[in-house]
Amino acid sequence: MMSNRRNLKREIHEKLNDHVLRDALARFAEVYPGAREKALEGIEDVEGLRQRLRDMKRDAVARIDELADKFEAEATKRGITVFRAKTGEDLKQYILDLCRNRGVKGVVKSKSMASEEVDLNPALEEAGIGVTETDLGEWIISLAGHKPSHMVMPAIHLNRYQVSEYFSGELETAIEPDIAFMVQTARVTLREKFLRADMGITGANFGIAENGAVGLLTNEGNARLVTTLPPIHVVIIGYEKLIPTVRDAAPILRLLPRGATAQLMTSYMSLISGRTPVMVKRNGGWVEGEKEVHYILLDNGRLAAARDDTFREIYQCIRCGSCLNVCPVYALVGGHVYGGHTYAGGIGAILTAFMSGMKAFEEFNELCIGCRRCTTVCPGMIDIPGLIEELRLRSVKEHGLPFLMNKIFDVMTNRRLFHGLLRAASVAQKPFTSAGLVRHLPLFLAGMTKDRSLPSIANVPLRDRLDNVIKKIDNPVQRVGFFSGCTMDFVFPETGENVIRVLQDLDMEVAYPDGQGCCGKPVSATGDVEHAKKIAMNNIEAFEECDVDVIVCACPTGVEQIRGYPRLFEDDAQWKGRAQRMAGRIEEFCSFVAREYEKRGRLEKASPRPDAVKVTYHDSCHLKRVLGVSEEPRKLIESVAGCELVEMKDADACCGMSGAFGVTHSNLSIPILKRKMKHIEETGAEIVACACSGCMVQLRGGIDRLTPDKKMKHIADILAENIIN
Amino acid sequence: MRRYCDNRQGTIPPGVFDSHLYDEFELRAKAVSAEVFRVTRADEAINIILAIVNDTGVKTVASVSCPLIEASGIVDALKGNGVAVYTEQARIAEHIGVADIGMSGVAFGIAECGSVCQDALAVETRLVSSLPPLHIAFMKSRNIVPGIEEALEIISGFFTAGYVSWITGPSRTADIERVLTIGVHGPARLVIIAVDEGPDEGAA
Repeated sequence: MMSNRRNLKREIHEKLNDHVLRDALARFAEVYPGAREKALEGIEDVEGLRQRLRDMKRDAVARIDELADKFEAEATKRGITVFRAKTGEDLKQYILDLCRNRGVKGVVKSKSMASEEVDLNPALEEAGIGVTETDLGEWIISLAGHKPSHMVMPAIHLNRYQVSEYFSGELETAIEPDIAFMVQTARVTLREKFLRADMGITGANFGIAENGAVGLLTNEGNARLVTTLPPIHVVIIGYEKLIPTVRDAAPILRLLPRGATAQLMTSYMSLISGRTPVMVKRNGGWVEGEKEVHYILLDNGRLAAARDDTFREIYQCIRCGSCLNVCPVYALVGGHVYGGHTYAGGIGAILTAFMSGMKAFEEFNELCIGCRRCTTVCPGMIDIPGLIEELRLRSVKEHGLPFLMNKIFDVMTNRRLFHGLLRAASVAQKPFTSAGLVRHLPLFLAGMTKDRSLPSIANVPLRDRLDNVIKKIDNPVQRVGFFSGCTMDFVFPETGENVIRVLQDLDMEVAYPDGQGCCGKPVSATGDVEHAKKIAMNNIEAFEECDVDVIVCACPTGVEQIRGYPRLFEDDAQWKGRAQRMAGRIEEFCSFVAREYEKRGRLEKASPRPDAVKVTYHDSCHLKRVLGVSEEPRKLIESVAGCELVEMKDADACCGMSGAFGVTHSNLSIPILKRKMKHIEETGAEIVACACSGCMVQLRGGIDRLTPDKKMKHIADILAENIIN
Repeated sequence: MRRYCDNRQGTIPPGVFDSHLYDEFELRAKAVSAEVFRVTRADEAINIILAIVNDTGVKTVASVSCPLIEASGIVDALKGNGVAVYTEQARIAEHIGVADIGMSGVAFGIAECGSVCQDALAVETRLVSSLPPLHIAFMKSRNIVPGIEEALEIISGFFTAGYVSWITGPSRTADIERVLTIGVHGPARLVIIAVDEGPDEGAA
C-alpha cells in the first residue's frame, strides 16, 4: 500500500525512462485502434450493442439486491456455498478458514483482479499455503515481485531477457530467452502445480442470477484447468459482475474480447454452475467425485457505489481495458504509477475511490487529462472523465483546495486584478522571450512549469485592440456577442481579431463586453465550485449588459463551461435562470460559421488552386467529443480555394495540453505532443489547423521546437485571411 | 458418460442451424489457427487422424465417446495402428498426463467467431480437451449458428447447471513482448473434423 509521501512525479519520471515499457506501450497504442476497428467489423450496429450492454447493466445495478439474492439462492440450490464478504478482510478470513478446515496446502489461481484488490496472495502465503498464479503474465510478475502494469497484459513492462532471468532464478537452471521455449517451460512447470493443487481460485467475468452460473474467459486455458483438476473451487466475484440471465451475457461476450485484445472470442469461454464432477484418487485408483464449490460475493465499496445515483455507472465496466488502450497518459507510463492499486487508468481512479477511499483517488486522479477518447470505445459507455470530475468535486468539498491553488483562484476570480497581472506579465516576461515564445509561463503557472516553451502573453491583449477591428455594420443581419476566453484575449489576440473579421464579413455586428473574463474552466476542473460560481456571475452580468441574441466563442472549452453554468446554481433559482439564458445563447465558432456559410452558399468545397497550401486539421478533444463538432471545421477549410485538406493519422488523439495538465505534468505532456507532431510531419502539410486555443498553445509550442517550417492556425485565421485575399 | 442433456436436439428451436454458415465458420476458425477438415462421412476422419499420428509419432490417445466418434471407427483404427487408446473415465484420468491426443465431440459451431460449443459436464470431456497438446473435436457440419446471440439462446434453453465450454482455436498467450505463442496451458493444436452425414450431432 501507498505511503502518503509518495512522489508521483518521480515515479512518472522512472516509468518514462523505462524504455522496455515505453516501447512496448507505444507499439501497442499504435496498433490497438485499428485492430479493434477490424474486430468490430462483423457487428452491424456497434453503438446499438454498446447501448444494450449499458442498459442491461443499468437494469442490473438498479435491482442489485434482488439479483444478488437470486444468484445466491440459485447457487445454493445447486449445492454451492455462498459467502458475502463485506470487506477484503472478511474474504481472506473465509478462504484461510476454508484452507485450514480442508487441509489445503497448494492453491492454483486463474486471474482474479478482485483477489489482487484485497491482497489475497500474501495472506495465503503468510499462512504457509503455496499459491500459484497460472496466467503466464501474472506468473511472471509474481516471480519478479511486481504489480501488473496492464489490466490484460500484466507483464508488458518486461522483455524476453528479463523474463528469462526470472525463470532461470525460479527453476535454478539457465532458461534461454526464447519466447516459445519459455512458454513451454511455463506449461511444464505449472502443469505440476495444477495436478497437485488442493484448491482452485478463479475470478468471474460475469455471474448469472437465473441459474447461479459464472462465466470465465481465458486465452491460455488456465481457468479450465483451475476449475477441472482441484477438488475445491472458490470463485471470487464482485457485485458488479452480476447479470440477470444467460442471454444477457451476449453483449459482454461480443464486446469484451473485441475491446480487450481485438479478438472475436477468447480461446476458452466456460459457463459453470453447480457441483460439477471431479476426479479424485481413492485407494490408488481414480474415481468420480463432486467438486466442492464456494462463491464469495465481494462488496468492498461496491454496494455503496450501487446506491449512489452518479457512481452506479461503474457497474457498466466489464474490465476489458479498452479505456486504457486508448488513454494517452496510460500509453506512456503504464499501470504502475497508479499507486500500486489493482485498477489503473481513469476507470481505476474511480473504482479505487470506492474500494480504497478518497485518499487513494486523490493520489492519482490528476493523470486523467479529460481527453474523453475512452468514452468513444468503452463498451459500457461509461463517462469516465465526467465521473472523475464529479469525484474531484466531492474531494474538494471534503478536503478543500491546496492553499496555493486557493490563492491563485482568488486572484482569477478578481477579474481586474487577474488581467492587471497578465498585462504586467507581458512586460515581465520580455527578457525571456524568444521567437514569440517564453520559457516560463508568468505568475500563476510559474511555479508549476519548467523546461517548456509555451506562448508568451501578447504585448497588447485583444480587449485593447477592439477599436482597430470592430466596425460599424450597416443594417446588420444579427448582433453577436464575442466571448474570447483568456487565452485568445491575452495569448492569441490576432486570432481573436480574425474571429471578429469573419463574423463582420457575415454582416453581423460584433459586441465585445469588456467585463468578460476567464470562463472558469481551470477552476471548476479542480472541483472548486465556489470560485467557478463567482467567475460565472461576472460573465453573465457582462453579457446581459450588451443584449445580444447569440454569443460566439472560438474555444470549445469555453463553450462547454458556459453551457454548464446553470449546473453551478442548482440552489439559486434566480441565478440559475440568468445562467440558463447565457447558456442558451452560446455558439461554438466553427459550427456557427459553417451554418451561416451554408445559408449563403459559401460552404461548397472549392477546387484547390494550383498554389494551394496543404492544411492538416487537428481535432480538439473537447470540440469533437464534447461538442460533437468535427465535420464543420474540415468543410470550412475545404471551402477555401487556397487550402488543400490532408488528414493526419489519429487526428482526434489528444495533443497533450488539456488545460493545466500540459504544464503541471510537462514530462507526460511532451511525449504526447511529440507523437502528434510525428503524425503532422507525415502529412507534409505546411499549416496545422485547429479550432481550440488550448490546443493552439500546445501545438504552437511543438511546432516552434520541432518543425519550425510549419504554421499553426485557428480556423478563424484561415477564413479571415481568405476574406482579405 | 454424463451428459447434461440427453436430448438436446429437442431444446434447439428448428431453423437455428444453417449449413450455409459453414464456410464462414471455417474461415473464422482457421483465422484463429484451428485446423478444419470437412468430410462427407465420419469414417473419412480415419485417414486424417492417422496422418497426424504418423507425422507426430503419437503413442497415446484419450477419447470420450460421442455418436460421430463411434460412427467413424477411429478408435479401432488407432488401436490397429499400435496406438494406445483410453476411453474409460478412470483410464482417461490415469493416462491423460501422457496422452498425445484428446478426442471429443462438440455440439455446434458459431460462425461469428469460429468457436465450437461443448457440453463439458463430464469431467473426462474436459480432461481430453484441456490437457493433451492436441485436441480433435468432432462436429456435424450443419450444426452452425450464426452468432454469439443464437448460441446463448440455445444454451439458455437447456443450461440450468453443469459446464459448457466454447473453444476457439488453440490455447494462446501474448504475455511476453506481445508475441503470439500457442499452447501455453491448453492444446497447442485444435483439429476440427466437420462431418456432413451420419449421426445428427457430435456432442459428447
